[in-house]
Amino acid sequence: MLLPIPTSLVSYAQCRALHTSASLLGKRNFRKFLLGPKAGTLAFKNERAKEVSFRKKFPDIDIPDYGTRPTGAHRLGDSTFITVPEMIPELVVPDLTDFNLKPYVSYRCPEVVQEEFTARDLFNAVYSDKITADFERGALTEGGQPREPSAEESLTAESARQRARGVHTDIWEK
Amino acid sequence: MRLTQSLLSSVGKMTKLYSNLPESYIKRAMEKGKVGWKTPRTVQYQPKEIKKKHYRFTMNRPWTDEFARQNQVSRKKVYVKPIPKWSYFRGDMVEVLVGKDKGKQGTVSQVIEERNWVVVEGLNAHYRLVGKTAQYPGTMIASEAPLLVDDQVALLDPADNKPCTIEWRYNESGERVRVSTRSGRIIPTPTQAEETYDYKTAATYRESERDTKEDDLTIISFKPQLSTFEMDVAESMGIELGPPPSETHWY
Repeated sequence: MLLPIPTSLVSYAQCRALHTSASLLGKRNFRKFLLGPKAGTLAFKNERAKEVSFRKKFPDIDIPDYGTRPTGAHRLGDSTFITVPEMIPELVVPDLTDFNLKPYVSYRCPEVVQEEFTARDLFNAVYSDKITADFERGALTEGGQPREPSAEESLTAESARQRARGVHTDIWEK
Repeated sequence: MRLTQSLLSSVGKMTKLYSNLPESYIKRAMEKGKVGWKTPRTVQYQPKEIKKKHYRFTMNRPWTDEFARQNQVSRKKVYVKPIPKWSYFRGDMVEVLVGKDKGKQGTVSQVIEERNWVVVEGLNAHYRLVGKTAQYPGTMIASEAPLLVDDQVALLDPADNKPCTIEWRYNESGERVRVSTRSGRIIPTPTQAEETYDYKTAATYRESERDTKEDDLTIISFKPQLSTFEMDVAESMGIELGPPPSETHWY
């Protein structure tokens, strides 16, 4: 805060800004400081260990955790930590016996080029055999529809959609 | 982004081929150390970087520590003549045209495309003693100096094993080959050109236990089925398809 300076005592050239209090009143934006986990005195670290009280005292300081996901939570208003088993990740690894694909590919292997598997290719794979067989023995109508449709051929868009939605989870089954 | 791409594109194609390293690694290794500074990647800082504008390529490969050390010091820029079609490979027989080994023929042992250099084995070398002590006289090592590709070496014409100029032309099969302009003879690409850090030739690469073999790679186990991914999973887990849930609507 600039105090009014009597112009008779100093000239403008000699005048400098006077602060009667510390700049910013001693406040520091601790969010701008990157405090690593090794920073601070022993008292600071001990306070950090008791996290709830520390947070109340220094709400500005962010404690780095390197993005680790917690496996539980603190009880409300308390510093006791309760482990929640559902928060511990369960790694589901499939059985890899008789699985010969390895992380790397040998330089001896030739370049394998696989084209995109489109909807047309899927149609050909599922329906083409039956359609050609029906055509050869004359089991197709004039419009090209099959006289004896198979299970896949009698599917409609709606029934296929309902079939796909029929997948349920078995987590809750006993 | 554009700057890093131009830095990576200044690394020669021959260098990348011989190294067999992923391009992202080469880029990362070139930028490490004290050749630049990045702001910490946190919310408080804007993502800014101070980077070298260009690198001075040396006898050391761009991803090595020695290269980073040599590039810490800023030196005068080297002007390199751009060669549109690189014609010199490892294993080529060349004749040296300048220096104390003028007139001698040797094999190319190293290619540094970024400076238009080739290193010929045993030629244009200076000798230094390594490990000399009061008791031991030291081991003499030949360190070959690089030679500029346009002026200081010349490929040999297979007809008479004399230096010649070359051109890239197409042969009957449609492949691009080097041809001597004087005699019209094709200069074959040496087998050493295929060599990389990992293998001498791709066919003789020694497979390790973590390499997928050709037989396993070329198996197609995909069976096209008229089912969604969830239905496939349910089938493999033995979950029966039940009735569909009630309809949902969006308003």
